[in-house]
Amino acid sequence: MTEHLLKKYDDDLQRLTGEILRMGDLAATQMAAAIEVLEQRDSAAARLVIAEDRAIDSLEHDVGHDVVRLLALRQPMARDLREILASLRIASDIERIGDYAANAAKRSIALNESPAIAPVPGLAALARVAGEMLREVLIAYRDRDAERALAVRARDAELDAMYTSLFRELLTYMAEDPRSISSSIHVLFIAKNLERVGDHATNIAENIWFIVHGEQPGEEREKRDFTTRPNALAVTQTEKPSRGPAGSASMPPMAQMMPV
Amino acid sequence: MSESSNLHRWRAIKNQIALVLSGAAALFGLFWLTWILWTTLSRGIGAINWALFTQMTPPPNEEGGLLNAFAGSAVMCLMAIAIGAPIGVAAGTYLAEYANFRKIGHTIRFVNDILLSAPSIVLGLFVYTLVVATTGQFSAIAGSIALALIVLPVVVRTTDDMLRLVPSQMREAALSLGVPQWKVTVQILYRGALGGIVTGVLLALARISGETAPLLFTAFSSQYWSLDLTQPMSNVPVVVFQYAASPYESWQQLAWAGAFMLTMFVLVLGICARLILLRNRIANE
Amino acid sequence: MSDLRLAVNAAAPATGEALTNKLVARKLGFRYGDTQALRDVSIDIPERRVTALIGPSGCGKSTLLRVFNRIYAIYPKQVADGEVLLDGENILGPKYPLSRLRSKIGMVFQKPVPFPMSIYENVAYAIRHHEKLTRTQMDERVEEALQQAALWTEVKDKLKRSALGLSGGQQQRLCIARAIALHPEVLLLDEPTSALDPIATGKIEQLVADLKARYTIVIVTHNMQQAARCSDFTAFMYLGELIEHGITEKMFTNPGKQQTEDYITGRFG
Repeated sequence: MTEHLLKKYDDDLQRLTGEILRMGDLAATQMAAAIEVLEQRDSAAARLVIAEDRAIDSLEHDVGHDVVRLLALRQPMARDLREILASLRIASDIERIGDYAANAAKRSIALNESPAIAPVPGLAALARVAGEMLREVLIAYRDRDAERALAVRARDAELDAMYTSLFRELLTYMAEDPRSISSSIHVLFIAKNLERVGDHATNIAENIWFIVHGEQPGEEREKRDFTTRPNALAVTQTEKPSRGPAGSASMPPMAQMMPV
Repeated sequence: MSESSNLHRWRAIKNQIALVLSGAAALFGLFWLTWILWTTLSRGIGAINWALFTQMTPPPNEEGGLLNAFAGSAVMCLMAIAIGAPIGVAAGTYLAEYANFRKIGHTIRFVNDILLSAPSIVLGLFVYTLVVATTGQFSAIAGSIALALIVLPVVVRTTDDMLRLVPSQMREAALSLGVPQWKVTVQILYRGALGGIVTGVLLALARISGETAPLLFTAFSSQYWSLDLTQPMSNVPVVVFQYAASPYESWQQLAWAGAFMLTMFVLVLGICARLILLRNRIANE
Repeated sequence: MSDLRLAVNAAAPATGEALTNKLVARKLGFRYGDTQALRDVSIDIPERRVTALIGPSGCGKSTLLRVFNRIYAIYPKQVADGEVLLDGENILGPKYPLSRLRSKIGMVFQKPVPFPMSIYENVAYAIRHHEKLTRTQMDERVEEALQQAALWTEVKDKLKRSALGLSGGQQQRLCIARAIALHPEVLLLDEPTSALDPIATGKIEQLVADLKARYTIVIVTHNMQQAARCSDFTAFMYLGELIEHGITEKMFTNPGKQQTEDYITGRFG
């Protein structure tokens, strides 16, 4: 895109992008660190992760400040307006991701206070996919690459499916060994956080699409996380939600999993 | 650093030199002007008395005034304005409103400017051949026509200028209301340009009230009270011209008085014109 | 442009009324001397809506406006070709009387130019030319026009005073009153606020919003925020051509053409 007649305007917009990318980078690092301290059972390192969240919060504050300034001083129009609006929303998504990382670190400290439970293999995979989605969406943002962003959004279904299966796995653990319930719930929450990271990455992807095309991406995305639906655990094949064909077709038979 | 400060000093010096030179030139011009004014005033003011306005031009070395000359000048100047101003306003309107962007407009404007600066004696000679030679008689009419020819280009020029000074948006605004052009010109544009046009007429009046050369060939002069337009008519400039050149003391006194009165008249007209223009400018802003 | 109408009706179904086109330009071209100021412009101006014309200086937006009431006709060597239909009648045709055209299409200019006469006379002047009214009728007409132009309360006690004594913003509203006093159907505004301060500008913009209920308004503006604030449709012109024409909201959030985007985001001008 050609430059603005007013060079300072371009500088301001670039600065905003820079702040978002730095935030995203920090959040991705935080997430990786949170999973690592969880695996290492390192409470001291976990506290560092928790403390580091403040840096993300402060960057989000900067973004908010810059957005207000740009809106007031430059009266942005069209793509510039979308750019600025999206950056505010993206910053808030990244800030949430940072919070999830800090929350995971907090839970890892709690987990460290009880005996180690058997490693949950699904969790590492979940963390890997969520991390990849975040990295990818940040690259898509840097390059304003709407297609790449859309690909990230498509992966959310994969993440949701992984989470659903992890959920099942943990339910089984808890049913088998009630003493592990407290730890399992911590792990479940961490998994839920990772699944939420995927949702935020998806939000960011949609915002990138909005920046480039001026509208929300068309097709409804697949949703495979059925655990939070009302009556999710009692859903049967016949109750087809109206969302999308993919969603209903791959409906897991949850009821069968339930220990009654 | 020092180089640029040298440059600045040199510029300051050049500026001072230019200032002194142009100031001196202005003073030089003003000096003569004041001298002329001073001479006219000091010589003329002493010759002002009641008789000047009540008595006719006298024979040499007798008491008298300039009443017939003042009356003659007034009559011929007013007639000249009455002939020249309407034609001038109409022509100026044509130039500004109808021929403004056309070639004919530029041509007429150019010719008018030549007429504006034509020596008045040429105009006098022209009217002499046209009127005096054909009627075989000096007459006030011939004098009025000669003066009207001086009035004409001045009024054409000021009307043209003043109408063109009316913002074109005023014209467009009026026309955009569906009003025809002649109505717009007469009812709106003349109002906007009125001050300027009146000023032009006043300036033309000031100009002709002092003209001598065209009258010498046309109205000539007369020793007597006469308001007959077909006869020669007395007038201030020619009387001043004749009396000043005469060897008689009393005539010379009258010449100074006439010169003084002419100067004052032109001065007052000039001030009036200025005031009208000033008021107009304030109203426009 | 029926696409536009469909889009508009789809976008604003709440109004319940389908849009009709008041003014329609078809393959309109305009030349003065050797300069081609407009090229093949086709545009629909919907009735009782505000259409803004934007674009850099010299893009032809003012020229387009000046073709709509043929004010260009007072200058020699200015020629329009193509068609401009007002309610289906070609106003560029030689048979269309100028006086009728101009009483139907009023115009307000960039610089407020009150006539050098009283406030009352400014408004009454053109009415007198078009209609014979009694004194009371005229008084009512003048008051109505000044009311509509949101000027009445400010000038009702000094109707006999010179209009030149009004402030710039008041003068411009007087010019609007003068135009609407003729009960036109279309109001053309040529950068009506470019000589005014922000407060006066705000009043004029509010006025435009009020007048929309009665008149079809076309406004030329250099100020894109102004176009965004007070128009329903925006047309972007460049080098004498119509580049894009659409719903204002769409034009300013997500224009269809790169040139439009570059212009409204301040990337060229």
